[in-house]
This record gives sequence, structure tokens and C-alpha cells, in this order.
Amino acid sequence: MAGTGTAHLRPEDETLLRVQDLVVEFPAGRRKVHAVSGVSIDVRRGETLGLVGESGCGKSTTGKAIIQLPRPTSGSVRFEGTELTGLSGKKLRDVRTRLQLIFQDPISSLNPRRKVGDILAEPLRIWRRGDRSEQLAKVREALDAVGLDPDVAMDKRPHQFSGGQCQRISIARALMLEPELIICDEPVSALDVSVQAQILNLLDDLKERYDLTLVFIAHDLAVVRHVSTRVAVMYLGKLCEVGDPDAIYESPAHPYTAALLASIPVPDPAVRPDDEDVLGGDLPSPLDPPSGCRFRTRCPRARERCAAEEPEMRAVGPDQFVACHFPLVGEGGDGAGAPAAADGDGHADQSARAAGSERADGDGSDGDGSDA
Amino acid sequence: MTAPTESETLLEVTDLRTRFRTPAGTVRAVDGVSLTLDRGRTLGIVGESGSGKSVLSRSIMGLLPKRNVTCEGSIVYDGREISSLPPAERRKLWGADMAMVFQDPMTALNPVIRIGRQITEGLRFHLGLDRRTANENALALLRSVGIPEPERRMKQYPHELSGGMRQRIMIAVALACGPKLLFADEPTTALDVTVQAQILNLLARQQRERNMAMVLVTHDLGVVAGRADDIAVMYAGQIVEKAPTATLFANVRMPYTEALLASIPKLDEPRRTRLKAIPGRPPSLIDPPPGCRFAPRCPYAQERCHREAPPLRESEPGHVYRCWYPVGVEPRRDGAADRTDTPTPTGAR
Repeated sequence: MAGTGTAHLRPEDETLLRVQDLVVEFPAGRRKVHAVSGVSIDVRRGETLGLVGESGCGKSTTGKAIIQLPRPTSGSVRFEGTELTGLSGKKLRDVRTRLQLIFQDPISSLNPRRKVGDILAEPLRIWRRGDRSEQLAKVREALDAVGLDPDVAMDKRPHQFSGGQCQRISIARALMLEPELIICDEPVSALDVSVQAQILNLLDDLKERYDLTLVFIAHDLAVVRHVSTRVAVMYLGKLCEVGDPDAIYESPAHPYTAALLASIPVPDPAVRPDDEDVLGGDLPSPLDPPSGCRFRTRCPRARERCAAEEPEMRAVGPDQFVACHFPLVGEGGDGAGAPAAADGDGHADQSARAAGSERADGDGSDGDGSDA
Repeated sequence: MTAPTESETLLEVTDLRTRFRTPAGTVRAVDGVSLTLDRGRTLGIVGESGSGKSVLSRSIMGLLPKRNVTCEGSIVYDGREISSLPPAERRKLWGADMAMVFQDPMTALNPVIRIGRQITEGLRFHLGLDRRTANENALALLRSVGIPEPERRMKQYPHELSGGMRQRIMIAVALACGPKLLFADEPTTALDVTVQAQILNLLARQQRERNMAMVLVTHDLGVVAGRADDIAVMYAGQIVEKAPTATLFANVRMPYTEALLASIPKLDEPRRTRLKAIPGRPPSLIDPPPGCRFAPRCPYAQERCHREAPPLRESEPGHVYRCWYPVGVEPRRDGAADRTDTPTPTGAR
């Protein structure tokens, strides 16, 4: 499987969730949207995997394909050793109680005509968990856990709550069936910063309290770094880089990761934004993705080899894996392909890398002065 | 550029109040905002949703509906009071004097009109150019906002372009008639980070080249930190702190600004440190609290804060804030000491 590979996956007996060579394609007339093209990720129990990328990179599709909504075109999704892609009917529904999803828009993901108490009790009713009073107690406990007053919230409808409060209700609903894994699909991007911090703290608390494993999908690198124990960066349906967040943020190996980090606006007037590190161009169409490395059309380091051959995931550090022929970290690569080119570019490599890590450190003294 | 007749001040807003009548009561969306903006400068307006930042820029532009809206206060643009002008006169200012870049380029562009006409419309209407000259200008504009193959783009419809492209078109439309004042209302919120950086750099470049003043409205302090000359922080319809950018970040006075900065996850912080969230949520603008509007959520609030609304006070030239017990000011430290002295029980310690 070119462009992806599985070098970054850990032994299967250590992982709670293991996704291998996931492909999701949607029909579009006579053509196909290549939403996810051979992504492999795994999550250990108790981990928070941050899945980052810009819109259209397939991060949400990956999250949804994990719970088979919709079913992936091909590939394997194993949860606690059970292969989900082949399951159907009752068996799949059974597994889904242990996998929950939290959506981006908290208001539209709650039924506006139902009371909060009913919304939360519904999964318990469907699965006949406990009698009425036990269900009620459970609802109250969940509301309390997400920081809402059960007496006040139970009988209200979603429109009577703010966006942040609705997200709390969505989280409470995801907790009702005591899941093991929660997939959070951009849970805070619709919220204001001050409220966003409340929800991030809440997710952190709940994770401890209920022993949860999280897949946290977001486009905001700072948020992802904050919550994650492992990070995977996606671009146009492919994985670019996977590994320990500290390693990745300090010295990104993939040029795309570096560009993403460089474009985060820093709330510090000493950091002058400049044109240098900014990525040009737009995301290519997923109907007709570029050959070879999908990032090559916007990559400052792209060379012939990138168009011809798809890079495979490989280790560049103890827990840092990258799918790039010419990564910013590690030796110029196993690439016997273009040693001369790699040499000739050595200078640019160094400076690009320096710029990238400087930004990542939030160290403002960008003495480069090129933004004049 | 300093012609003798031109004063440096381009825009002066005094005590602007915008109210919406709703079935639930009167919403005071903008409640006594004053600001000035010099030619060629950038003012960043920062606030969360519902703080009144967008209504403020729309009030100045004169883009609000007439029904159930009242707008009071003075708006002096280029030496002329414009708040009392009839709508037809206000409209003449659009394009060549002031223009706006909206947040969502999909809904702000007309989906059934080709890109070319959306740009040339303003050129022909406001500047009275003929079709050919307008077309030539439009092509040059598209090139200057970094759109490849402008001839082809002119003939396309908005849905054929990506979000970043559409926002470039919006910017081209806004810049077409060479405005002296550009309002950018969350110009990058709908865009991805890498594209956001492109668009912000584009705006900055255009602004420099045209010596245009800009009001950059955003919820993201990171967006304005490196780009605005001055920053005004809004909360519940009021400016709660305003200062030159460097001063604001160096000497935050208003606890809300401090809290806002603290609640942003930062890349240089150790991982998984607890975020300092602001508890609660902004007050209702129908019936705001009598005292300081931030008091119910403020960690430093004292009795006076709940009772009496603090006025805007100046701590150093150009730095104003709205707080009785500002951050990092001597009396404040005393105030903190006071608190332990006063009989009111403050915590277990």
C-alpha cells in the first residue's frame, strides 16, 4: 500500500482500535471522490488520538467509517479484536454501544422537539438498561458529570441552551451507554474560545473519570496538541505524519505539518506573520488527486520522485513516523532515489526546519526580517 | 500622502448605540462605543460571538436593516458626519470610501452571477467606468489578489471556486473601487488555517500598497496580534479595553482580556496543562447586569463591580479599560489585600 504503509502501527494486542488500509470512496456521477485512501491508525486504551487536517482531508470520514457510518469501501476496522467491517444487524448495533460519536454542531445534533431528559434517556430505553427510576438516576448523573444542573436541564429543550451547554448535553448523551471509545468530531470548533476551554477541560475530566479512550478530530493544531497523547496529520485522504505530539510539534518531519504549524496565528505581537512559511495554492480536488505524494502540488520540497512514487510511512524518531520522500527530520531518507538532489537542497532543508520549529516553540524572535 | 487639507483621522465614532427591538425586549447590541481610526492604520476588534463586534462595523457602514433597529451616536468619516445621512447618501460612500469583506464568501457572493460581473458592477456603478475599462480593471484586481488564470475565473460562478478563492474574490470586490476604509468581518473564520494565513497576508499587502485603513473584526486574538496597530476588545456590546497592540499584550488591564488570552490553548505550553476557562457565559444584552458586565464571570469581582458600572479609564496614553480593579495596577494589589481584610469570607484560606 503505497503512500500509507503500516510502519507506525503497534502490535495488535496492545490496541483497542486498529484501522488498517481504510478506503472510503463516494460516487460522484461517473467519477469517485477519494475521501480516504488507505489510512491506517491505531489507538491504545486510555489514549487520545488527535486526528488533524484541514477541511476535505478525510478526517471526519475516517471517524465515521470507524463506526461504519457509512461502511468503508475497503480496509479493516478492528475494535477489541472484533472486525467491524463484516458485522451487520444486531451484532453491529451491539458494538456501537461501546463506540460513541460527538458531533461538531451541538445544536443541530440534538432533536429540538424533545426534552433534554428524554434525549439522554433514549439510548437506555432502546437497550432496556434498568427500569425507569434507574434510567432517571443515570440521566441525572450524566448531566451532573458534564456540569449541568439536572433539576433545571431535564425538562428544557435544546434551544433553551447556549452552544456550549448543548455540547455538554451531546457529551452526556455519548456517555449514557458507558462507551469505551468516543470519537469527537470537531467538538469545540463551533464554540467561542472561552467556552471551548470549558469543554476541553470537561472532556479531560470525563476521560479520567470514566476511563475513556478518545479519537479527537479537529483542524486546530493547538487544541489537538493540548488534548492528545498521539497525533496523526492527514492531507487529502492520506496520513502524512503520526507520532508523539511533542516530537511532531517540536520538529515536524512532513513539510505539510511544518506548514500547518507555521500558519497558526500566535497571540503574541512579537511574532510577525510573514509570507515565507505560508503554503501557496489550494487543496487539489479529491475527485482527481495528484499522483505519487498527494501533497506534492503545494510542497516546497517536491521533486520528480514525489510525482512518480508514493511515499511510505517510516520511522524518523522513536515515536515519529512520516510518509515523505524528503522529510525535514532524520537522514535524507533511505532514498537512493535522489541523493544528489537531497544534498543540493540541504541548505533549504535546514532553514525550513529551523523556521518550522521556531514557530512551534512559540519563540517569537524570528530574526529573519524577511517580512519587510 | 499628507495633503495639507487632509487630517490624519479618517473615522471617528462617538458613543454609538445600536438597538434591536425584538419580541423578547430591546437588545442593546452596541452600547456606547467610541473609537477613532487614522488613515492607513489597522484596528483589530476582538470579541466572542454576541459581543457586538459585527453589529458595530455594520452600523458604521450603514448596512443594518431599517425596521426595528435604532442607531444613535455620531460617526464622522473623513471630516463629515455621516450618521444622519439618508440611506441613499450613505450608499454613495460604499465602494470608493468604505467597503466590507464578509465572513462567508459563499453567501456574500451572488451564486447566479459570474465572478466578472460581480467585480465590475461596483466599478461601473461607483466609478462610472465603461465595460471594457471595468473588465481590464477587474482582471488586474484578480491578479493582484493572487488568482491564477483570471480570464477564465471571470467567466465562472462562485460555486466553481474553492473557499479560499471565493474569499479572494470577495476581497477583489471590496477593493475594486479603492476604498479608504476596509471592514474585514471575520474574513478568515470560514477558511482553513493554511488558507487563512494566505488571506491575511493578502489583506495586509493590499492595505500597505493602498494606504487603506482597515477594521479587522475577529474572535481570534492570534489573528490580530501580529497585524493590527491597535486592538479593541469588546464584551457585551461595549469596548472593555483598547490599546496599541504591543501595549495591550504587555500590560493587560481588563480581567476579561486576561482571561481570554489565558483560555487559548498555546503551542508553547506543556501538553495537557489545564486550560483556564472562563466560567459561565456572556450576559443577556436585553437586560445586562447593572454593574460591570463581566463581573458575574470575573475572578476578581468585588461588591462594587456588581453595583456600579466602571467607566472607560486611561492608564497610559491610548490605553483605556473598563474596570474598577484592573490587572497589574498598584491599587489592585491593595485591593486583593483588601479583600482578605474585609469581613466578607473569601475562600477557605
